[in-house]
Amino acid sequence: MFSQNGLSLDQAPPLSVIFRFFFLGSLFGILAGVLLFFYQTEIFDASSTAALTFTHLLTLGVMLSFMFAALFQMLPVIAGITLTSPVRRANLLIYPFALGSITLLLGFNFPTLSWLYTLSAFLLGVSLLGTIIPMLSDLLKLQNHSFSSKGMAAALLSLVFVVLLALYLLASLSGYVDGSYYVPVKAAHYSFGLFGWIALLIISISFQVIEMFYVTPPYPKIVSMYLPVGILFLLLGSTITAFFIPDIWILSEILLALLLSAYALLTLKRLTQRKRPLTDATVWFWRMGLSSLILSMLSILILNFTELSLLKPLSYIFFTSFALSIVFAMFYKIVPFLTWFHLNSQGYFSAPLMHEIIHPKTAKKHLYIHLATIITFIASLFFSPFIFLAAALTILSFGWISYQIIHAHFLYKKTQKSGEKFDMGSMN
Amino acid sequence: MIITNYMKNEHRECDTLFAKTEEAIAEGAWEVADQHFLAFTNETLLHFKKEEEGLFPAFEAQTGMSQGPTQVMRYEHEQVRNLISKMAEALGKKDKDASLSLAESMMILIQQHNMKEEQMLYAMCDRTLPPELKESTLEAMKSMLL
Repeated sequence: MFSQNGLSLDQAPPLSVIFRFFFLGSLFGILAGVLLFFYQTEIFDASSTAALTFTHLLTLGVMLSFMFAALFQMLPVIAGITLTSPVRRANLLIYPFALGSITLLLGFNFPTLSWLYTLSAFLLGVSLLGTIIPMLSDLLKLQNHSFSSKGMAAALLSLVFVVLLALYLLASLSGYVDGSYYVPVKAAHYSFGLFGWIALLIISISFQVIEMFYVTPPYPKIVSMYLPVGILFLLLGSTITAFFIPDIWILSEILLALLLSAYALLTLKRLTQRKRPLTDATVWFWRMGLSSLILSMLSILILNFTELSLLKPLSYIFFTSFALSIVFAMFYKIVPFLTWFHLNSQGYFSAPLMHEIIHPKTAKKHLYIHLATIITFIASLFFSPFIFLAAALTILSFGWISYQIIHAHFLYKKTQKSGEKFDMGSMN
Repeated sequence: MIITNYMKNEHRECDTLFAKTEEAIAEGAWEVADQHFLAFTNETLLHFKKEEEGLFPAFEAQTGMSQGPTQVMRYEHEQVRNLISKMAEALGKKDKDASLSLAESMMILIQQHNMKEEQMLYAMCDRTLPPELKESTLEAMKSMLL
């Protein structure tokens, strides 16, 4: 771990690597908002093309991009892994990934053009597996594991399954395989994606960052040691069992909902125990995300006992709110800190302070925009024209994030170009 | 785990003092902020001294690793020292925004540093140093003054 001090400048990945993933994610977010004007409330019908496209725009386009930004940064910090040639790795991932995602979205909308599925399977399969497997292998080789690094390994393993299952689904859609397992594979793809990848990665990272950013007591060992592995085994067990007993997912979803709700409640409690009494926007983003997770899981639980059709879209909206809120919370810590840290470590006297890069008030304004976005999505379930407002707010929300990245990037470049530099060499 | 427990406890004390400083800055209570910040600075610098003059040399002599983890920690101590002086300057000017901004950077920097020490380095020290050397190093650190 120590020979690879992640937050020392010589080992940290260049800022551009982190920024480009955040930027790509926000562009997909803007696109999601634009498409919402056309799809409207059709996105709430899970079997529609609109829902399929919108879900993948958010999970694949937005979340995966943002999470790759976090992974490239967090792997050195949390796990002490140095990613060799990070710029090359990032380039080899980002372009085929972006192109593959767009091709996939087009494929959903033009299903007769089956070559789109084939092309997206190739681009996404190669770029994602080519990045995830080396990351996973580095993680598995670690001699000194933290709970976070173990959890990240479990999350990355889930992502490998997500991609492999997706490749089977795409092969079925393109006609390469007969698709006799399409239904159970689709259920596994969906569950591994939402619970195994998104939730598990957030949980694993939170074991470290909640304590680090907010100075809270650590999570109980029983939680940090067994929760990620428990979720992974539950998903694996359910996937295999579902080939024989498809209804097993009902039981698994109930268990997952209980586990994730318990995690969310525990983290909310940790946030009340923080030593730093100041409450900035990121604390509220976390609170909003965790409360949304509880509401989403509650909707899933109740859905098993009632026929209330409203609960399904509600569970989707709340799960999206969970994932996005926490990603935004991370964004508002990572981007200003890294920009300051890189410039400060390079010896620039005039390195802008964190608040000059992104002011806490700016983050708070985004919190309100984000909250309004989620509320309008919920409102559109009752009064459909609200979806137009939700679409506009989605564009505004991701536009806001894009602007912060551009602003931080230009500030960074400007300081590098004109800032007065202290010669670190003279210290030695 | 006597090294881990002792050093970890010092980290927590520094965290508490720093959180009090941050709170006082936010409230605009500059005199209180100065007092807490001074206490935090003294505690932190003494803690660094204990590591750099007590624990790290003992670890390096025992393991022969002088360019490894301890070197990284020394480098990060320098970064914190540098930030302490910048923050003292901002406090002197009663610049709330700059002080809180530097406090945020300081907190993240220190927490990631502490985690590396607590999860790895102290555990390595507890594991590799013979019991009597561990005891004597600990006693030497306890008796150090700034």
